[in-house]
Amino acid sequence: MQIEQYNMPDELYYEENHFWVREEGDLLVMGMDDFAQIMAGEIVYIQLPDEGKKLKKGKKFAKVESGKWLGKVYAPVNGELVAVNEELETNPELINDDCYGKGWMYKLKPSDMAELQELIHGPDAVKEWLLVEIEKYAEE
Amino acid sequence: MEAKYDFERKYREQILQCSKCGFCQAVCPVYGATLRPSLNARGKMLVLKEVMDGKIELDDELIETLFQCTTCASCFENCPSGVNVPDIIKQVRTDMVHMGSCHPAFTGMHDVLEKHPNIYAEDEPEDFDREHNKKAEYVFFVGCVGLYREDESTEATLELLDRLEVDYTLLDEVCCSGVLEDVGYELNEDLVHKNVDRILATGAKTVITGCPYCARTFNNKPQYKELKQKGVEVLHVSQFLKDFDFGVTTDKVVTYHDPCDLGRHCGIYDEPRETIHKIAPNFVEMRHNRENALCCGAGGGVRGGYPKNSLAMARKRLQEVEEAGAEILLTECNSCVHNLSNAKLRKQRFKVYNTTQFINELMDDAE
Repeated sequence: MQIEQYNMPDELYYEENHFWVREEGDLLVMGMDDFAQIMAGEIVYIQLPDEGKKLKKGKKFAKVESGKWLGKVYAPVNGELVAVNEELETNPELINDDCYGKGWMYKLKPSDMAELQELIHGPDAVKEWLLVEIEKYAEE
Repeated sequence: MEAKYDFERKYREQILQCSKCGFCQAVCPVYGATLRPSLNARGKMLVLKEVMDGKIELDDELIETLFQCTTCASCFENCPSGVNVPDIIKQVRTDMVHMGSCHPAFTGMHDVLEKHPNIYAEDEPEDFDREHNKKAEYVFFVGCVGLYREDESTEATLELLDRLEVDYTLLDEVCCSGVLEDVGYELNEDLVHKNVDRILATGAKTVITGCPYCARTFNNKPQYKELKQKGVEVLHVSQFLKDFDFGVTTDKVVTYHDPCDLGRHCGIYDEPRETIHKIAPNFVEMRHNRENALCCGAGGGVRGGYPKNSLAMARKRLQEVEEAGAEILLTECNSCVHNLSNAKLRKQRFKVYNTTQFINELMDDAE
């Protein structure tokens, strides 16, 4: 779904800090959404923690940096980090080029897949949320 | 012919003194990352000679060449003709800014400091759960990178000062604004006054800085002369800590990266090593060390203006950590820690710390 200039695919789940999540078997794949990558500008660094890191829902587990902006990455669910996109170590701009594809960031093993349903999902919910976000950042 | 620009009036003889020998090319981090001869000091001096001869204009087309310099001073250190390239580059940038030609990232930094108290436009500083602006023997001045990018390292430094029972206070500090002079602007007088007033209000006679650049700015810029006039000494934390005994050691192989702002710009090479020798008997030097240390690539606004090249410079430095077989890379600058940590590849298993953070971790482990 296109919301203003932002591409927000319907099938994805969204965490409120603008990271998307999708199911892949018993894992979750996670990355930055289009709104965030446009707001951030050229991404220059993504922290890629070691696999096995325990994740607590809502707690910071990594950082993303662009120019003069530093973003924190929060765990969308409880679980464990099982893979990272090592391509981003030397090509962080993949997030700007293809945030839902080659710019994926992390794969997580959730403790309870049902927690996925607590994220923002579905065209109406995503649109309602994003329009508020667009207004909020326009004020800043 | 009358000189058109201030850089020519001040530095014409030095620019003409460049013998084009190329010693600078071998040590220039920007050349190392880009392999473009126009970007090393010799290339920049050739370009400036053309400008002085009236063959080319000092305009936007030269931004890429003249704003891409970390001001690390490796070229100056190795120049047989004694050409002070960092000072020349800073003056050229000032001339360009006066004419309205500036890298957008640096214009942005200047504009941010007109409205915000730090270079990151952050309005909610980390307070580290400690008292600010109280009467104390020392002020600990963190610096922007330590406040907003390497706050974990700063927290560890403060824990170490607490362990050593240092009577210090934090400040409601604002950016020292020294970096503005690197990128063609002047220090921000409002920020200078806030820092000076707040430091003096604590009654402290010594300021300890976590950032070597802040120490340089406080000690060398005339805008901060009131500190010296009122008897306030400014030390970098590495100078302050050299006489302490920490009572901990590590068996790990440790190496040390000389930050340009502490080393080549202030001549502080021994104090950090004295401290490290106390805690790390297995200390090794990297191939390039002390006056010849490679720059991490973060300085002179390059991390903000040319982040990819900046990280490429850091990766060259990290190759030397691997060559040295070190398990721990210590340094004394949050900007260096930040750039080197960001550049470190996952397959590189050594760890990067400020020395203070590493000592604090050793003390944690010993408890």
